[in-house]
Amino acid sequence: MAAWDLSVTVEDLGSDALPVTVSVTSDLHVGGVILKLVEKTQIKRDWSDHALWWEQKQQWLLRTAWTLEKYGVHADARLLFMPQHKPLKLGLPNGITLRLRASFSCPAFQTVIGICRILNIRHPEELSLLRPVEEKKKKKDKDLAQDIYDLTEVPLSSVSQSCLYNGMPAHFVGSPQMEAIYKMLSVTQPPPAPEVIAKQYRPASVVDKAHINGRWLDSSRCLMQQGIQENDRLWLRFKYFAFYDIEPKYDVVRLTQLYEQARWAILLEDIDCTEEEMMLFGALQYHISKVAQSEPQMLSTNAAMDDLDSALQSLEVKMVGESSSASELLENMTAPELNDYLKIFRPKRLTLKGYKQYWFKFQDTSISYFKSKEESIGEPIQQINLKGCEVAPDINVAAQKFLIRLLIPAPEGMNEVYLRCENEQQYAQWMAACRLASKGKSLADSSFQSEIQSIRSFLAMQKTNSHGNAPASDESINTHSLVSPRYHKKYKPKQLTPRILDAYQNVAQLSLTDAVMRFLQIWQALPDFGLSYVVVRFKGSRKDEVLGIAPNRLIRIDLGVGDVVKTWRYNNMKQWNVNWDIRQVAIEFEGNVNIAFSCVTADCKIVHEFIGGYIFMSTRSREKSDTLNAELFHKLTGGHEAL
Amino acid sequence: MDDIDAMFSDLLGEMDLLTQSLGQETVPPAPLPSTENEANFSIGFTDLNESLHELEDNDLDALMADLVADLNATEEKLAAEIEGLKVPPSDQTLPPPPTDLSSRPASSLISPTSPASSGSNVSTPSSSATSPLPPPQSKKPTKEEIEAQMKADKIKLALEKLKEAKVKKLVVKVLMNDGCSKTLMVDERQNVREVLDNMFEKTHCDCNVDWSLCETNPELQLERTFEDHENLVEPLLAWTRDSENKILFQERGEKYEVFKNPQNFYLWKKDKKALKDIKDKDKEILIQENFCGTSIIVPDLEGVLYLKEDGKKSWKQRLFQLRASGIYYVPKGKTKSSRDLVCFVQFDNVNVYYGKDFKGKYKAPTDFCFVLKHPQIQKESQYIKYLCSDDAWSMNLWVTGIRIAKYGASLYENFKTAEKKAAVSAVWTNRSTPSSSNPSTPSPTIKAKSPSQANGHAPKPQPGPVSQDFGNVPPPPPPPLGDILPPPPPDPTLPPPPPPLAAKSSFKRQLPSNFPPPPSAMDNLPPPPPPPPMDDSLEAPPDFLPPPPPAAGFGSLPPPPPSMVNSLPPPPPAASFGGMDLPPPPPDPGFLPPPPPPSQPAFTGAGAPPPPPPPPPPPPGPAATPRIAVRPAGSLKKVPPAPPKRTTPALHGGGGGGGGGGGGGGDFMSELMRAMQKKRPDQ
Repeated sequence: MAAWDLSVTVEDLGSDALPVTVSVTSDLHVGGVILKLVEKTQIKRDWSDHALWWEQKQQWLLRTAWTLEKYGVHADARLLFMPQHKPLKLGLPNGITLRLRASFSCPAFQTVIGICRILNIRHPEELSLLRPVEEKKKKKDKDLAQDIYDLTEVPLSSVSQSCLYNGMPAHFVGSPQMEAIYKMLSVTQPPPAPEVIAKQYRPASVVDKAHINGRWLDSSRCLMQQGIQENDRLWLRFKYFAFYDIEPKYDVVRLTQLYEQARWAILLEDIDCTEEEMMLFGALQYHISKVAQSEPQMLSTNAAMDDLDSALQSLEVKMVGESSSASELLENMTAPELNDYLKIFRPKRLTLKGYKQYWFKFQDTSISYFKSKEESIGEPIQQINLKGCEVAPDINVAAQKFLIRLLIPAPEGMNEVYLRCENEQQYAQWMAACRLASKGKSLADSSFQSEIQSIRSFLAMQKTNSHGNAPASDESINTHSLVSPRYHKKYKPKQLTPRILDAYQNVAQLSLTDAVMRFLQIWQALPDFGLSYVVVRFKGSRKDEVLGIAPNRLIRIDLGVGDVVKTWRYNNMKQWNVNWDIRQVAIEFEGNVNIAFSCVTADCKIVHEFIGGYIFMSTRSREKSDTLNAELFHKLTGGHEAL
Repeated sequence: MDDIDAMFSDLLGEMDLLTQSLGQETVPPAPLPSTENEANFSIGFTDLNESLHELEDNDLDALMADLVADLNATEEKLAAEIEGLKVPPSDQTLPPPPTDLSSRPASSLISPTSPASSGSNVSTPSSSATSPLPPPQSKKPTKEEIEAQMKADKIKLALEKLKEAKVKKLVVKVLMNDGCSKTLMVDERQNVREVLDNMFEKTHCDCNVDWSLCETNPELQLERTFEDHENLVEPLLAWTRDSENKILFQERGEKYEVFKNPQNFYLWKKDKKALKDIKDKDKEILIQENFCGTSIIVPDLEGVLYLKEDGKKSWKQRLFQLRASGIYYVPKGKTKSSRDLVCFVQFDNVNVYYGKDFKGKYKAPTDFCFVLKHPQIQKESQYIKYLCSDDAWSMNLWVTGIRIAKYGASLYENFKTAEKKAAVSAVWTNRSTPSSSNPSTPSPTIKAKSPSQANGHAPKPQPGPVSQDFGNVPPPPPPPLGDILPPPPPDPTLPPPPPPLAAKSSFKRQLPSNFPPPPSAMDNLPPPPPPPPMDDSLEAPPDFLPPPPPAAGFGSLPPPPPSMVNSLPPPPPAASFGGMDLPPPPPDPGFLPPPPPPSQPAFTGAGAPPPPPPPPPPPPGPAATPRIAVRPAGSLKKVPPAPPKRTTPALHGGGGGGGGGGGGGGDFMSELMRAMQKKRPDQ
């Protein structure tokens, strides 16, 4: 067979170097070509990750046993010899950019699996890669200054998920830099400055949101085929909102990044919520950032240690309990109380009496008050049980006003009572006591001290806010960092503080993990949760409409009014087809319901992938949670390539 | 032996004390011996005293009779046990102690800090008496051990007494549907579920999930059903002294309607006919989606309701929306977008009530009213929020929606517990009549029952030597269940035909099969037990059932090989009632001889002894073998390159679409089906 010259550009020789020419025959297999090539370059190194890329055909020649003839390679082919894994700038859900090596040769689905393995995120099928939204040009230089976390040095072979050292995957252990990266991945970020939130791109309408969904990479084609170059930026995001088997013990990074994605979705109004919900989200963010700062390791490593600790603790309690006799126990059971002079005001219709001072005693879950300290042995003037009552703050630090507003349920309705405290110290104690009592807890409850602490830190927040541009310390966060820009306009930080504080009292006792989980739960309970929008044109309709793709259903939304027109559930779906020629998706549901539409803001492959992907997500079963059926995923989402 | 005796007398003393404390304040002393220690024992019966005065004499008598009966039963039991213990403990012939005692870990007895676990035992004398029993010893304990044990017991007793003294108790009169009433004592640790169980025992009703305790407030014309997880005493303490409120024991269909017909709540926008025709599989998916995920999903309710204006008898319309975080309304002139919604009420501090005859009382536009108020509010007040909907259907939607938002996962937990209870009771009821011939059948269900009964009631003397030593008893031959259980529709229970035939059947056919294909089942199993009864093969299906409680239905059947569970499609509805959560009867199927093998006789003809297993199929995987057989491996790869128009995966049988995808399509679909089936039974 006749030999001919094949010229191959070897990337490692530099961009200026001339192509290397090797003499080949058509029946030479690709492996042989590579061998010749390597010999010719005379560079000694590990070539095992390298492969040939055929530029005109946009195709990798990965089957080394195939001959050039079988691939159809002739002398005019422009071939590139380069590594399959290349560095990529990856924007994480928490907003931080990471450099790592990702596969440019296998389908994007596999690439994501590889990335998630490095980052220690389970269930990579829920994530995908997104082309980022272009940032405004002028801020470019600032971006360069931003330090980038670098994971490119991680040897790909050493990545194994199963073993953890010190709570970290093995490849993060060793150097302080690597541990810092793992910390970045597994610990929630502090609340962003309000300017940062305001600066970010915010989708203003459903159509804007739909455009973002046009940016997902095709999961069945490789990055090279999709025009991604070395060192390009991509976003890693949760794409399918069906989070399977979340287990805080193993899912530290996954949970953290999921929280970050949810948090940003809320802050940027990617998903709508009510004002009350926003305040609760704000309170949870505040709590999470506070706990994460004080105990940075809690969510990450020490789940097992926590168990041990609590076990030890309860053992201790048990032993104490066993050794002490009943009478001793009784002696120890004297409940703590609060005693002080406070002023009380009970607004009633047609009375304009002001605040009157009494001697107050807080015991168990009740407040009693007496004329004076001396008379406190006798019968109180009144005793108020606070269980089930509503407690609200009414404070103004600058004016030294510390009011506790109580709404106390009684058979006749709610009684309004105001308690006036003299100073912060007193207010924090009594407020904390009232809060606990309203939930049926007494002062003896272990959360009393932390409740006082959190009230104080909120007071501190108000203080700094009232001074304007005080430097943000750990204790004080600008409340504008916790809510979306809409509320920046609506409320001053000073006005937001009491509202967030109000919501905060219900979550203040949560552990870090529980708080993150609660945040996610509330997010998932929002009516619009999990909807990915695409603008489509239904067959027979003359106007654009929006298709919402949810984990369990498709919804048709009127573009103008925003009303849901129709809902179809996947479990009634019989089949769906894509006509790749006219780019139309046709779906058949039970009961002879047929719909067809063409896609406007995204390729129909993306819609096809969403539907197939959700079907796939619903087939995952608990028993086989460890093995990912990539083949099935590919069949359901692949389209052409699935054949 | 003296030690043990002393201990028992101690125990009895404590029991008596408890009874006595009741007696002292209310009725002439009960004819029971009283003993020492009275000084230690203070009583927290302030409320009891008061409420007892309001009772009529016969109520009191009944109540006392109940308590005494409970006591007597326990006493007899104790006496029997003391007898047993008096036998010199050194030899091996000691009769095995009842399992419920021996299974109690000794450590829990001595740790006084674990009252939570034993707490429920103390509520009545009967069971508190059983708990401090030392674990029956098989070897003679040393003197020191006994002393230590006794000391620990005494500490525990003292602590329990202390606790007991503080517990609030109420005597509650519960009105029945037929106008009569039952009186029972409820302590503050009991939740509504436990009280309901008490009522079941007193009334011998059918124990279905609809039975509820309801609170009525005649003054406000309100009523609501208590949720099973709520404590009963707490809301009752909110009643005023002169309250005319009542507690009713009633069947309330709407209580758990959302779990029986989730589509009516989660798909309420669809047309009524479609909702009626919904498949059980879809119902189950709905429950899965909304109650079994990380977050409980509240029905997406939105609609116009009438709101009563403060202090007036006028009602104005507003567009309301239910969200997990509360009820909102759309202010005039604003859009429905979330950010514009105004919060109407959040659920932390309010309960939802049905209003009765508000048309008359408040001039409401309709009689389908509901109310949100703090449970403590008992009289008219501006803090009560009155809402009115157009019809009963939408009222139920809202009330149920609010309950889901307020109680979340507890609601579903309650339902599952109630379902379990109902299933167990069904067994008991059935047992009492025809099935007495095979007394050991329901034994596993007794086990299932006992934990839910821990509300301090002496377990009923269990008929027969039933569950004493369940683990070692080989399961009885399959009972003739046919007469108890309506024979299931033959279709679903028929096992699919043997592989060679099944190979060509579409999986539509296989879908409804409740049984895994026989070959692989038999493959996994030790030799089959006695052949199934030799009746005609048509009536055969019930015979294949292993011996579960009849009402448990197919959902709870332990499928012959454990690995098969996943390939079962969702159970049929009628059968699944009460079933899904019953623990499968055998505690560990692995240790038991398998149930009779399904099928072979049914197909080969009646009366034939079970033939040897057919040629072993390829390694039994979790999926049904026939389907594996059909699958031409790698067929997909052979399909020629993409035709311009192509059928992408189809979901359900209808191979539909073009011929292009047809070839690989069926095969692919079967794989998909399998994957989905695998998922479904996994609850």
